[in-house]
Amino acid sequence: MSENMQTHGKHWKSCCQWKCISQALLTFQTHTLDSIMDQYLSRHFLSIFSSSANERTLCRSSSELLLEAYFCGRVGRNNHKFISQLMCDYFFKCMTCKSGIEIFELMDDYFVELNVGVTGPPVSDSKIIAGLLLHRDFSVYCPADGDIRIVMVTEAIQPPFTTSGSEFFLNSETQFQTSQFWIMERTKAIMKHLNGQNVKLLLSSVKQPNSVVYYAALNGISVVECLSAKEVSLIQRITDLSPFVPQASSQYDISNTALVKFCKPFILRSKRYVHLGLISTCAFIPHCIVLCGPVQGLIEQHENALHGAFKMLRQLHKDLDLSYIRYASDQNDTLSIPVSKNRRENDQLVETGNKSIQRPYQDTVVKDKDDLEKTQTYLKVYSNLVVSDIELEAYIPCSTPELTSEDTFQIDETLRCLSPGEHRIIGDCAPLAEGNSIANSTTENMRTEIFCENLQITKITRKQSMSPVKYNSLDEGTCQSYYSSSIPAGSVLPVGGNFEILLHYYLTKYAKKCQSSEETMVSMLIANALLGIPKILCRYKNGKYSFPHLYLKALHALETNQPVVSSQTGLESVIGKYQLLTSVLQCLIKILTVDLIISIKRQPQKVHHQDSEDEL
Amino acid sequence: MSRLEAKKPSLCESEPLTSERVRAALSVLKGIVTSCYGPSGRLKQLHNGLGGYVRTTSQSWALLSNLSVTHPVLKILTASVQNQAACFGDCGLFTAILCCNLIENVQRLALTPAAVIRLNKHLLSLCTDYLKSEACGCRIPVDFSSSRILLCLVRSILTSKPACMLTRNEIDHISALILRAFLLTIPEHTEEHIILGKTMIVPLKGQRVKDSVVLPGILIEMSEIQFARLLPFKKADVLKVALFGMSLSGDFSDTGEGTVMVSRGVSLENAVLDQLLRLGRQLVSDHVDLVLCQKVIHPSLKQFLSTHRVIAIDRVGGTLMEPLSKVTGTQPIGSLDSVSPNSYGSVKNVCPAQFGFKHFLHLIPNEVSICSLLLCNRNDTAWDELKLTCQTALHVLQSTIKEPWVLLGGGCTETHLAAYIRHKTHTEPESLLSDEGCTQTDLELIAEAFCSALESLAGSLEHDGGETLTDMKYGHCWSVQAGSPAVVSWADLLSQCGCGLHNSQEELSWSFLKSTRHPIAPDTCLPQTATDSAGSLTVDCLTAKLGGLQVAVETANLILDLSYIIEDKN
Repeated sequence: MSENMQTHGKHWKSCCQWKCISQALLTFQTHTLDSIMDQYLSRHFLSIFSSSANERTLCRSSSELLLEAYFCGRVGRNNHKFISQLMCDYFFKCMTCKSGIEIFELMDDYFVELNVGVTGPPVSDSKIIAGLLLHRDFSVYCPADGDIRIVMVTEAIQPPFTTSGSEFFLNSETQFQTSQFWIMERTKAIMKHLNGQNVKLLLSSVKQPNSVVYYAALNGISVVECLSAKEVSLIQRITDLSPFVPQASSQYDISNTALVKFCKPFILRSKRYVHLGLISTCAFIPHCIVLCGPVQGLIEQHENALHGAFKMLRQLHKDLDLSYIRYASDQNDTLSIPVSKNRRENDQLVETGNKSIQRPYQDTVVKDKDDLEKTQTYLKVYSNLVVSDIELEAYIPCSTPELTSEDTFQIDETLRCLSPGEHRIIGDCAPLAEGNSIANSTTENMRTEIFCENLQITKITRKQSMSPVKYNSLDEGTCQSYYSSSIPAGSVLPVGGNFEILLHYYLTKYAKKCQSSEETMVSMLIANALLGIPKILCRYKNGKYSFPHLYLKALHALETNQPVVSSQTGLESVIGKYQLLTSVLQCLIKILTVDLIISIKRQPQKVHHQDSEDEL
Repeated sequence: MSRLEAKKPSLCESEPLTSERVRAALSVLKGIVTSCYGPSGRLKQLHNGLGGYVRTTSQSWALLSNLSVTHPVLKILTASVQNQAACFGDCGLFTAILCCNLIENVQRLALTPAAVIRLNKHLLSLCTDYLKSEACGCRIPVDFSSSRILLCLVRSILTSKPACMLTRNEIDHISALILRAFLLTIPEHTEEHIILGKTMIVPLKGQRVKDSVVLPGILIEMSEIQFARLLPFKKADVLKVALFGMSLSGDFSDTGEGTVMVSRGVSLENAVLDQLLRLGRQLVSDHVDLVLCQKVIHPSLKQFLSTHRVIAIDRVGGTLMEPLSKVTGTQPIGSLDSVSPNSYGSVKNVCPAQFGFKHFLHLIPNEVSICSLLLCNRNDTAWDELKLTCQTALHVLQSTIKEPWVLLGGGCTETHLAAYIRHKTHTEPESLLSDEGCTQTDLELIAEAFCSALESLAGSLEHDGGETLTDMKYGHCWSVQAGSPAVVSWADLLSQCGCGLHNSQEELSWSFLKSTRHPIAPDTCLPQTATDSAGSLTVDCLTAKLGGLQVAVETANLILDLSYIIEDKN
């Protein structure tokens, strides 16, 4: 019994440890990771935009590299080049010069509507078709030339006999016949009117009564019925066409028509589709992908891969905000690069020291418990101010007030020594003022252009600033000089473990300077885990491409501040990678906080098989 | 209510192609499809042990759709062949055999899937480029001003489906009918785009094949009583037709979302019937001769119409509506009140017709683009096979309009193509090896595997123990019967090549398909006889064969790329 108790005790104890690790992981994920992403990794980001002046345009060759790498694991070797080429052609055909993220949103949201799968022909028969293919046939098709006007309805054109909530008293047979007659006349008049307005195509989201189809045919109007809600909204987005409400006005005023270049039946493997040459009023030029394949499963696989690629591109086109704030002041120092920045929860903070590699300056750090406590109170006061002032989400979820002690130093490219202003500043305002006079911030414009396979990938121009003088600026009542960090849209890195090795490198570097062993441990843990990815990728490679070689080469390049050259040509989205990493961490955090798994055995329910069969 | 059951774990199988089970299954499937191939192919009888319908067939579509395969690799293969056959109409067996051959041949080589796939793709594009090029030596242009090549094409299709059980005379008769039916579907007046009409295949089982006919227009089947009531007909130059797409039974179902309150003494039935009769009076006064309705016509209206000598036919059904509206040149009417005079159509004539034990109303249009093929065969299963064959032939003729070429049949295209690839890879391997990571040896191995897959496909046409040879000039396929004396010269033993283009008196030299030989540059110029002589050729549809070739290589690549199969058994 007592033994049992003891093992239980041990269990709970180890659970506490897990909980601590989980806590540390959470801190890492919410603070450390973001700051490292922003401060160090961002230097290595490439962009898929070829940035000329203020315009940012999607670079064709980088997009191809990005997609090829994306499809590598999702589409079989047989077709992966073809599919990535098809996709690239597709969105470049759909784009206008002014289109941006919205077309990727549209392609993602309406993916099903913009795609047609055809089983039977080989994959290489897949193609891109200008215009929109509706997944249904015409109810009536009347060939028409020239500019064709279309209207859209979302209800039956024929007036209903009765409307909902009303009662219709029939007193005589003639009354019934006249009302029927009136309904027909009204329908006829509406269709005639549409014809007068030069409308040649009626798109309807509902099934229209026989008479509507009949009078449409008599008036030379083609009809497509039963459009899905998605198709309706897609057409609305492309053409800015709002539905025509036949019952609303007696004048049947149709201000809302749109023009199409053509509208004709389209036959794909004996199935008929409606092919519309919509004239776009937005940044999306409508095109459809016809995906062919010998088996349905393969087409589905390709569809899913394409849809995933659109989602990836959609995310790639949006800045991703990080929960890390940068502070900037006016002084420029082109040579300094921030290397470390510690955040700590104040309850565990006993000592804040600068354990940087720059030993000679270590003793200049001021450590004073009393001063520290003062700072904490200052911070408690001002951190609220910060929140209200700039509405930073990152601060809101913190239940305990945080002391952000910032610890900076600079690496001179050649000498690696500290500038005079590099003092560890903890305490009251006096030393802070001092620090301010030699405020160290950097605004660094890095614009390195590297050439990779004849294509120009412009390094993102980044402003890197840093300043430890947060308290100071608060004292002066100004808060203009800090802003939140983000991963800029279009950031990519070469494939093949580049992201992992870079993050590993900076995490190990960071871990060495950490004060608490816990933080060091977590950083090292993640850093080493990251290395597993390139190891797997290089599993079957040897010689120049083997993992140790690759790793050492990258390390050397990083130490000497040279660009890290990848042996592979593909690119991958940084935002995607970052989100994946945070998801993995979240999952790990959750798993570690679970201390007991209780399995519930559900009793199998009784099956009344025979009874139900009898009933049938 | 769903049964709660413990979930079964997924099955995971690595390197499926190396497993003996899969190899055995693949070779069984290959055996089945190979033995069906060609005019002398063996038939397969599909039947369920519980009894019921029995099907005798040698066509891939019928065969594979009834075959239940369990292994995922085989499922991919059969699904892909079926889809190919459904899409292109023909060449299903060709695809299946080629795919099996490729997988089998490549498995023997110790090459990485990546290299195999890349090189297979190169070889495929070599083939497709060649078949599409002007210099192609196994492609004949189709001359639409004469029926010769088209007839050859249809006859080749009919001959290659032995389960139709047709004699030579019957084949000639049916091929002429099919070609005639196809020509009837081409509209007389064409604009920019040709919209082909439709051939309706009308079944008439239990009659002689020779009784089959093609008629312009539509045959509407009716019972003997209806048929008797129709007589006599009034004669007119052009008959006015009213085609209704709605019910004329007097039902009133759509009252909207509100409620209708009917006062005592008011009869809606009478009101609607009144409406129907008014419609009838309008039809009569508009001199309509024939009323066709997709759904039901109210007996009173029917009675009214027949007393005014208007033929009324109801329950035509949805499938006939589109051809009917094409034949009569009108849209179905969807309104009881105020039928516009513009919405009447016309037919040239209507006459009762009796074929075998069936009675029809025959609508003869003014302008033909719809025709009916009344197809007869002795029994159910032979009729089904014949129907499928006719559909294939019509489909193939349609694709020939788009791509007006045919390929040489009888295995000659395959052997010629193999000779061409051998020659190409031998003389200019650099063009194929331009990209990364493949050696010349790899290429030679894969090319050999590819070519022998094509050649053994040509060899599969022989089922009676004979040998298959190829000549060293054109690279055509020749077959020699089993048990022929060995001493006689080949020229005397062989008479014609598979497609019938060359005969053995042309001073050629031959070698066995299976033997190793030097790569030859096949002669790519077609003799004059190909395009104008009266001789009968065996030809295949270019579109279908090209599609089959692509699908076969693509599917083989897909299967060779599989390194894991994870199956959810729940």
